[in-house]
Formats: sequence, structure tokens, C-alpha cells
Amino acid sequence: MRRTVLSAAALACTAVLAGTVPAFADSTTPRPVPTVVASEAPSTAQSARPSEVPSPVPTRVSKRDRGQVAAVPAGAPDTGVTESSSGSGSEAALIGGGAAAALAAGAVLFTVRRRRATGA
Amino acid sequence: MTSLSRRAFVTAATASLLAGCAGAAPHQVTTTAHRRQAPAPTATPTARTALGRSVPVRLRIPAIGVDTPLLRLGLAADGTVQVPPITAHDRAGWYRYSPTPGQAGPSVVLGHVTVGSYGDGVFRRLAELRRGDEVETRLENGRSAVFTVGEVRTVAKAQFPTKDVYGDVDRPELRLITCGGPRSGHGYLDNVIVFATLTGTRG
Repeated sequence: MRRTVLSAAALACTAVLAGTVPAFADSTTPRPVPTVVASEAPSTAQSARPSEVPSPVPTRVSKRDRGQVAAVPAGAPDTGVTESSSGSGSEAALIGGGAAAALAAGAVLFTVRRRRATGA
Repeated sequence: MTSLSRRAFVTAATASLLAGCAGAAPHQVTTTAHRRQAPAPTATPTARTALGRSVPVRLRIPAIGVDTPLLRLGLAADGTVQVPPITAHDRAGWYRYSPTPGQAGPSVVLGHVTVGSYGDGVFRRLAELRRGDEVETRLENGRSAVFTVGEVRTVAKAQFPTKDVYGDVDRPELRLITCGGPRSGHGYLDNVIVFATLTGTRG
């Protein structure tokens, strides 16, 4: 009789433990609440804050640090040299020299002819 | 305690332990799943960042047949920007105090329209560029920054738009500068300025 009572008590305890233990350690009901709270709350806190805070800061800092244009030049760039303004010096000298030589030759010829005409 | 009751307690303890252990696994899965999802949004800003700093070595403008190596230009003694030397094989130059192409800010490239007795300069046809034309700058690191022309402006040298050309901007841009307009005794009265923005990368 005692055995029967003890066995029944042990089985009852087993049934109770089997039913209650999972509810504390794990389970179906409490789990959705903590996991949802634990996964959503930190995720918004972590993904929103780190991604919003650091991203504007480095971009602003990088813009200013790199200064974009570090030294702004004065005036307008001179990026065109016309043909008349370059290389024309030597050509003009050649033309001028040639004209002077031709004039000198003409003067000599004129003088020689004049002398010959006078002498004759 | 009898042997039967011992067995019963052992069974109960084992059942409770198993139930406790079984519950832990799904919780870890949700945590790892959450961790796997977290890097995705942080990867977005890095994908949007511009090219790293690398000096430009070549410039290509297919629309006007330009393909030139790039010199590095600085400042002249009078504070004006240096320009490429007058040579038969004219080349363009990148102003080294401006951002490298692909970085936030206006990257400035200069070239001659004519080089005196040598004839046409590398930017002879720059004024022919139109909105939507593509400009590619090849960088020292092997990558390329591709820009698209947004505006071509001819301005009097006396009213050079310094702020528009060299002023800060919030994205990677490119300025191509040469001379243009009516000729004076030694040069030109105007500047031709091309404004372009980064639209892609290669390499």
C-alpha cells in the first residue's frame, strides 16, 4: 500500500515538474516576449544610433579636413597662347634682317652704278 | 525511499533537465539571426563613399577625342595657377591642391586651347562638350572616376567665377578649364569651364 502511495506521489511530482520546469527555463510563452523585446529594442538602438551618428560625422570631417581645394589660385588661368604671341620673335627678326640686307644691297648697287655713270 | 520512488525522481529530474536544455537552442538562433541582419545597414554608407585618394594620371574625353596624360600643377609665384608648358605635344594638368577625382570636392584640370606656333592645344575642342558627355579620369591606383558633363560655361577672364570653380561642394565633381572667346594680343579674353559630376567608377 505504502509502495503504491509513494509511487503515485512520485509520478505526480514528475508530472508537475515536467510541466513547470520548461515554463521557467524556457519556453513557449515567455520566449516571444523577451526575444522580441531583446532583439528589437537593441537592434533599433544599435543600428539607428551607430549608423546615424558616425556617418554624418566622418563625411563632414572629411570634407573639411581635406579642405577640398587647399589653396585657391588668384585670377583666371592663362591656358591659351596665340600664334602671334609665341615664336613670332625669331620670325620677325628674320624678316627684318632680310629686309635690311635687301636695302643695303640696293644702296650699294645704286652707288656703284652712279659712280660708273659719273666716271664714264 | 524505495527503489520505485527513486526511479520516479530520477525520471522527473532527467525530464526537467531535458526540457531546460531544449529551450536554450532557439534563443541562440534568434540572436545570431539578429546579428547577421545588423551589418546590412552599416554596409550601405560604405558603398556610397567616393573613391579613395589617388592622383589622376590620365584624362579621356571621347566626345572630343581627348586622351592625354596628366601633369601635376601647382601655384605660380604670383599666386595664379600653373599651366602646362608650351610644347608640341600638349598635355593637360591636374591642380594638385584640389581633391583627386572621385573625392568630395571640385577636382580641377587645366589645358591649353592653343599652344602658339605649335598649333592646337589639348583642350582645343573643350567648348564643344555638351551636357551628358562623359569624362574619364584614370587614377594612379588603377581605378577610374567617370564624370558626366552638367554645364559648359564661357566667362570673361576679368569675371572668373572663382567660387564656382574652386568652392566647396558636397559631392565629387570635376572642372575642366581652358581659354576661349576673342583673341587679344597675347592670348584669349575668356575662359571655357566645364562642370561635371561623378556618375560612376571603373576598375
